[in-house]
Amino acid sequence: MSAIVCSHVDKSYGATSVIRDLNLSIEEHEFVVFLGPSGCGKSTLLRMLAGLEDISGGEISIGGTVVNDLDPGDRGVAMVFQNYALYPHMTIFDNIAFGLKRQNVPKAEIRQRVGAVSTTLGLDPYLDRKPAELSGGQQQRVAIARAMIKTPKVFLFDEPLSNLDAKLRNHMRVEIARLHQSLNTTTVYVTHDQLEAMTLADRIVLLRDGRIEQIGSPAEIYERPGNLFVAGFIGTPNMNFIDVTIGRDGDAWTLTNAGTVFTISGERFRLQQGERAVLGIRPPDLVAASPGASGNLLEGTADLIEFHGNDALVTFCLGGKEISALVPSRACPAIRADVRYGFDESSLHLFDAQSGMSLRRQ
Amino acid sequence: MRRPRTGVGRLLGKAVLAFAGFMAVFPLLWTALNSLKNNVDIITRVPRVVFTPTLANISYILGRDSVLTGLYNSVVACGVAVLVGVVLGLPAAYAVARYPNRWAGDIQFFVLSLRFLPPVAVAIPLMVIWLQVGLYDTLAALIVTYSLLTISVIMWLAIPAFQAVPKEVEEAAFVDGYGAYSVFWRIALPVAARSLAGAVAFSFVLVWNEFLIALMLSSSNAKTLPIVASELSQQGMNVPWGILNASVVLLSLPPLLFLGVLSGFLNSVFRQKKT
Ligand SMILES: Nc1ncnc2c1ncn2[C@@H]1O[C@H](COP(=O)(O)OP(=O)(O)OP(=O)(O)O)[C@@H](O)[C@H]1O
Ligand SMILES: [Mg+2]
Repeated sequence: MSAIVCSHVDKSYGATSVIRDLNLSIEEHEFVVFLGPSGCGKSTLLRMLAGLEDISGGEISIGGTVVNDLDPGDRGVAMVFQNYALYPHMTIFDNIAFGLKRQNVPKAEIRQRVGAVSTTLGLDPYLDRKPAELSGGQQQRVAIARAMIKTPKVFLFDEPLSNLDAKLRNHMRVEIARLHQSLNTTTVYVTHDQLEAMTLADRIVLLRDGRIEQIGSPAEIYERPGNLFVAGFIGTPNMNFIDVTIGRDGDAWTLTNAGTVFTISGERFRLQQGERAVLGIRPPDLVAASPGASGNLLEGTADLIEFHGNDALVTFCLGGKEISALVPSRACPAIRADVRYGFDESSLHLFDAQSGMSLRRQ
Repeated sequence: MRRPRTGVGRLLGKAVLAFAGFMAVFPLLWTALNSLKNNVDIITRVPRVVFTPTLANISYILGRDSVLTGLYNSVVACGVAVLVGVVLGLPAAYAVARYPNRWAGDIQFFVLSLRFLPPVAVAIPLMVIWLQVGLYDTLAALIVTYSLLTISVIMWLAIPAFQAVPKEVEEAAFVDGYGAYSVFWRIALPVAARSLAGAVAFSFVLVWNEFLIALMLSSSNAKTLPIVASELSQQGMNVPWGILNASVVLLSLPPLLFLGVLSGFLNSVFRQKKT
């Protein structure tokens, strides 16, 4: 049974439509991440699940019950907010216990359950403090404890780590992953951080302008982006795009951009002669070609070199477009050196120039 | 850039502070001192710091029926008005802050305009109204009128105080299963308590010191303390300075007490938070 089903969900503020005809079903125990650029409606959708925004159209059901008209407290969800949203006037203990008190859980049981949760999250030493006396990471753990203790059907996270520094963020990300492993509660997690999405998600829902662009496992979305937007949004450094015209050469297909011609077998793609397309290739998939090599080559003069540690990002110009290649630092060319990179056809992406849809065969 | 503090700059800063503090406190102290002096000690060319204190002024003040009635009227009118202001003003402010509708802006402006109109412009129509209703010169009229003031002042100050409560904190309580009323009581009120207490104290001081409206709405029965005190100075050439000073002290005590109690309450709330 699906834990959450959204069917034809709309949301608009007055005349501005924020979510449009959104259909999504989330399985039980699944960890789903909403990913997308700022303002695409991730938070709005999450808040609609929580019951903090009303639903303009369509239907949302949680655990088989339509929740459109249910109050947040009756939906069986728990939410963790970006800025923690702890009750500033209560101790950590009371913060965690506040939801249970509402459910008239006996005092002894509250104490026992808060104790269990706070031990899991390492909050025991802080139970008598006020939120202001805790560090950001500790506060976020309290927020998670407050959500956990209610043993909800669904956890909702809205960018829970974005207020933390990089190191703590990594640490908390691992903690959240562990927590999900042990609790196995259905989770919806909003972020704009790809790394978080890739590492945490069972499935990623990629949103743009209130619409779903693609749903899939992190590997699917990375390896088989369904359209240009997804291809450009996912992956750092960003995918290189080259406008090409498709042609035929005997059994093979040619992709022509100004002076450069690439020849491919094209088996994986639905191609048509004369069609205009966009070729996509990820920077790590470009490999330095040996001096005598022939075949599909991108040539240019390195005009920018960014050192990333193990790797270096080499940027050069090809037909007026900037192309980047991620190469091992030790094999990094000098600036203004001539560079030649080849690629394997299997790492190639092709998109229709007009619609932006992938030309890959399904 | 942080500059190292020089000894001179620091000294100067302290001197300015001390001077400002002296300017603020000295008149009050002098008044308190004068209330304990005989008239001969007050009307001297060289101000006297050393004198034989007397309680005559204070006992004279407390012995006068008009003063006691004024005190009673002031305490009742202001106390009830502040209570009404709290009971009606705070929920109204919360509603405007959290559930804004198309009237919210107008409500806020109206509330503000009550305070910006010259008091006379408000007092004269009110006087006419109360005369017509037949409640002129009664405590009830004063209470209702002052309630208008306290409600507007409390709303005016409480709306931003409620808006400053992070919305997510209230939403978290909704997700925790609480309804709108519980969220108001258990989250919004306590979180905003500090600013709200300030608003309540301010409204009290405002109506306690109020003079013009009280003057217009009372002729004998409903006179408040400021009116009575001002009448003490209208006894011809021979101004009873000692008595006047004593009445000022009496007038100043309740607001000071009120603020003292309030700040004590706030301090205790915050000490609880710390430990
Ligand atoms: N109360 C509101 N009134 C009108 N428009 C709103 C309101 N709240 C949000 N929006 C609009 O809805 C869109 C989606 O907002 P939302 O907060 O869901 O974005 P988001 O994907 O969470 O972005 P971010 O990553 O920046 O948090 C935005 O374009 C925003 O301007
Ligand atoms: Mg957001």
